[in-house]
Amino acid sequence: MTTVTAPPPVTHAPATLPGPGPRPRRGRAAAGLQGWLYALPTALFVGFLFIAPVLLVLRMSASDWKLFTGDNGWNLPVNFENVTSNRFFVSSILFTLQYTAIATVLLMVLGLGLALLVQESTRWKSFLRTAILVPSALGLASASLLFYALYSPQSSPFNPILRWLGVTDSSVSFLGTPSAALWSTVALIVWRFAGFYMLLLLVGLQRIPGDVYEAARIDGATWWQTFRGITLPLLKPSISLALILCVTGSLLAFDQFYILTKGGPDNSTITVVQLIYNQAFSGQNNLGRAAALSVIVLGALILINALQFKGLKSEDQ
Amino acid sequence: MATPTRAVEREARPRLTAGLILGRTPYYVSTGALAVIFLFPLLWSAVASVSPQAGSAQTEGFGFGNYRTLAGYQAGIGQYLLNSAFTSLLTVALTLICSFFGGYAFARFDFPGKNILFLSVLAILMVPYATLLIPLYVMLNAVGLQDSLVGLSLVLTLFQLPFSIFMMRISFESVPKEIEEAARVDGAGTFAALVRVLLPAVKPALITVGLFAFLAAWNDFIAPLILISSSDKLPLPLAIANLRQQVMGVIDYGATEAGVVVLALPCIVLFLLLQRHYVNGFMSGALKG
Amino acid sequence: MKVWKRRRIAGAVAAVIATSMTLAACGGSTGGAAGSTSAPATAGSSGASGSASGGAGAAADQGVDDGTTLTLWTRAPLEKQAKALVEAYNGSHQNQVELTVVPNDDYVAKVGAAAGSGQLPDLFGADIVYVPNWASQGLYADLTDRIAGLPYADTLNKGHIDAGTVDGQKFVLPFVLDLSVMMYNKTLYSEAGLDPEKGPATLAEFADQATKIAALKKPGVSGTYFGGNCGGCLVFTWFPMVWASGEEVMNADGTESLLGGSAAQQVYSTYKTLNDDGVIGDGARDETGATWVAGFQSGNVGVMPYPATLLATASESVDVGVSALPGVDGGGSTFVGGDGLGISKDSKSGEQAWNFLAWLTSDAAQVDVLAKGGDVVSRSDLANNEYAAKDPRLVLINEIAGKGKTPVALNFQSAFNASDSPWLTLVRNAVYGGDSSVEADNTAITSVLAQQ
Repeated sequence: MTTVTAPPPVTHAPATLPGPGPRPRRGRAAAGLQGWLYALPTALFVGFLFIAPVLLVLRMSASDWKLFTGDNGWNLPVNFENVTSNRFFVSSILFTLQYTAIATVLLMVLGLGLALLVQESTRWKSFLRTAILVPSALGLASASLLFYALYSPQSSPFNPILRWLGVTDSSVSFLGTPSAALWSTVALIVWRFAGFYMLLLLVGLQRIPGDVYEAARIDGATWWQTFRGITLPLLKPSISLALILCVTGSLLAFDQFYILTKGGPDNSTITVVQLIYNQAFSGQNNLGRAAALSVIVLGALILINALQFKGLKSEDQ
Repeated sequence: MATPTRAVEREARPRLTAGLILGRTPYYVSTGALAVIFLFPLLWSAVASVSPQAGSAQTEGFGFGNYRTLAGYQAGIGQYLLNSAFTSLLTVALTLICSFFGGYAFARFDFPGKNILFLSVLAILMVPYATLLIPLYVMLNAVGLQDSLVGLSLVLTLFQLPFSIFMMRISFESVPKEIEEAARVDGAGTFAALVRVLLPAVKPALITVGLFAFLAAWNDFIAPLILISSSDKLPLPLAIANLRQQVMGVIDYGATEAGVVVLALPCIVLFLLLQRHYVNGFMSGALKG
Repeated sequence: MKVWKRRRIAGAVAAVIATSMTLAACGGSTGGAAGSTSAPATAGSSGASGSASGGAGAAADQGVDDGTTLTLWTRAPLEKQAKALVEAYNGSHQNQVELTVVPNDDYVAKVGAAAGSGQLPDLFGADIVYVPNWASQGLYADLTDRIAGLPYADTLNKGHIDAGTVDGQKFVLPFVLDLSVMMYNKTLYSEAGLDPEKGPATLAEFADQATKIAALKKPGVSGTYFGGNCGGCLVFTWFPMVWASGEEVMNADGTESLLGGSAAQQVYSTYKTLNDDGVIGDGARDETGATWVAGFQSGNVGVMPYPATLLATASESVDVGVSALPGVDGGGSTFVGGDGLGISKDSKSGEQAWNFLAWLTSDAAQVDVLAKGGDVVSRSDLANNEYAAKDPRLVLINEIAGKGKTPVALNFQSAFNASDSPWLTLVRNAVYGGDSSVEADNTAITSVLAQQ
């Protein structure tokens, strides 16, 4: 491991969402060519491994495309009619939205709270920071497996603890009712991601110049006024990035539910992506329908994110 | 434990702690409880993996029976670790190359199609993972990269791009232009300026991006499931998923917990080792949110 | 590790020798792995490796054993048996089989991805209830004539053969059989004053004995247990109770559900009563099948329908008694589950793959590998083999195998096994719900089964 010295202190420019930087003074064409050269590896990845498969997905969504037998010709719009009339279509959308709302609110509030809590550089605080960040070193699948064992009546450490405390004498069913399953999964997600969002917001907090706070203190502002008037507005770029990541990630939730609940109990935790997965790999084995549903989801996500971008940009003016 | 030191200590910041009102003890108790909540599942998993448990290799007393199960599984844990290490390191290398140059291009240049390309990169986030894998599988087959760790790394890199490019772009943008313009005046080209002047400035971001790429690649399960079929090329998470399910879907919890520990340990160690670097980078304000 | 390596090298050397022999014999015909030719090859009849096919007629088509590397996929739950079979075959043949084990829940995705792009392995197994669907989609190569050529063809497990028969063509052979039987904990039976040598003979006796075990009030011990959130487990354990009562679960084509019948209703109400009385172990309600057998293994369950493959495992920790799954008024039946194995449509080494399949049904594989490992044999003429004879419970299980059934339906997976199946909805409403909605839920199963 090489030790890295901290980079030189940097003067702060006002924060903006990333936009095109000023151009170097060279010829436009030459600069453009150079830019393209630097962006080439990225462009190759996006072109060959992303755009091309997405086009294939679009084609699948308009074809009678079975998992085992492949393409059996065009059938637009049969797949779309089929998935929208699926008995879980509406309930999976509602559940996904509900889960997204809960997870986003919790993660944002917790992330911000934790970031405020651990921002000073004392020994204890940096220990706290580390403790909260460690879970994010696990993959989501590993974390879900871990919680699967944590919640299982056979190996769960919680039931002996609860029995010992005299709270209950039978074992608690963490995944047995729809609401228990939802909140148990949310607990896993908060445990795994709180540190990540704390870190993102911590970065933003660190960028707020100290003298702004100094001025507020001299004016005799209360803590709340300072938070409302200075911290939140200046944190906006970080919050918006975290928000977009969090909303998109939650809307595409799959692994955690797949491992913990398999969409149960009684089909109460089927997310949209779980429905896509079921169309493709369980029973129906119909890639065309799965692709059609994916196209619908992709469209919805682009719309949602465009709205988010717009909202954030307009407030910036 | 690494203690990041702040470049500038800010004293005047109002604190969000009950400490000012109630004295220090309740504060330490409550924040300590917070730390315990976050660490408990990991510690429990480590303890449970060596504890006696019915239906696992460790039924009597404490010991490493579950780890023996793991070590002797099919091709041997060494092979799986090797596969995972190779895939993860290649993914990290590819991610760093793409995001270092790509971030520079997006931050400092104007070129035709720039915005479209950037939005396309972000759009990768919006397509369900499972949806893309089947077409990717078909396409990798077409170019002879099926059942190969290189093909797997390419796919894993793709899914790392949105976060990495975004991060590196912000990072490059937060470096004042004067720094590299000074270098350019001395007659250095863009590449020389990039390597000599900008590289040290964006190092913390590179470390963060590299670390996240490593963690993602090390832990990924669905991509190798679809893309890899030879049992001697399986990465570790897949081997552990196989091991977890015994006959008739019985789950060997002991082996699962041991597997989670083996999966998590390298990640956590690496994370702790590198934490100083990237947290330092953040804390000294080298990044803009 | 070492053994593997050595074997690989030996295999490779054998392959080189065999290929050169073939080349010499055939005057340099191209194509080392010409598996598509249907003429029986003369080279590579493994004299030295001695694959005794124990008394099977030598006239039967044995395929080709010329040192080809074959690939075989199976799902994780069958790993133990698959590994034992593959090792035995590789040790006695020039062909070498490379085994890939796939997690159970992801097997369909993996096979699908490979099938769509022509990358299926030479041989792959499938849960026998999926075989009708997969075979009709053309994933397997036709084996009708070859199976007919086996001297013991009529002794092969009928349930499996029928499930793998589409429009008169046969596609799979039994790979590993799994049967459901009633298992009970003799120690707990003695403690509760029940006869440890007699399992329940009727559905009512089962409920009664489970209730008596629960009445012991031992901490952590329950009367019975089941996979209350696992469609596959419920099919495996409850269908036989309906069959044993002389009723059917589906019509002959597998397009209509008969699970609203009186015997089925009896099964549901029995479990509902057991649940209301607190006889069923904690966690059964959200048991997705991951741990449904663990409680019995650790000695915490009195009596429950259980997979026969786990007899050896359970016997390590529990004194196990075995009886057939009973019907409402007695009788006995079983669900013949497990996996079928066939040659894939993409295989370029059909002759060599058949060599493995032919060996798989031979005495060498059935008795010296499967029976020796405590598994059920898939040939009725081998039911009383030397290993089974040592344990009367195994003889019983082998006998039950002939009485059981394998239900066949094209949409079996989506109707019963899928996590969002209507069958699971029916069971959970019937056991945990308030009002009876069996009729409506049964209609929902029919509508999924009837989908084209």
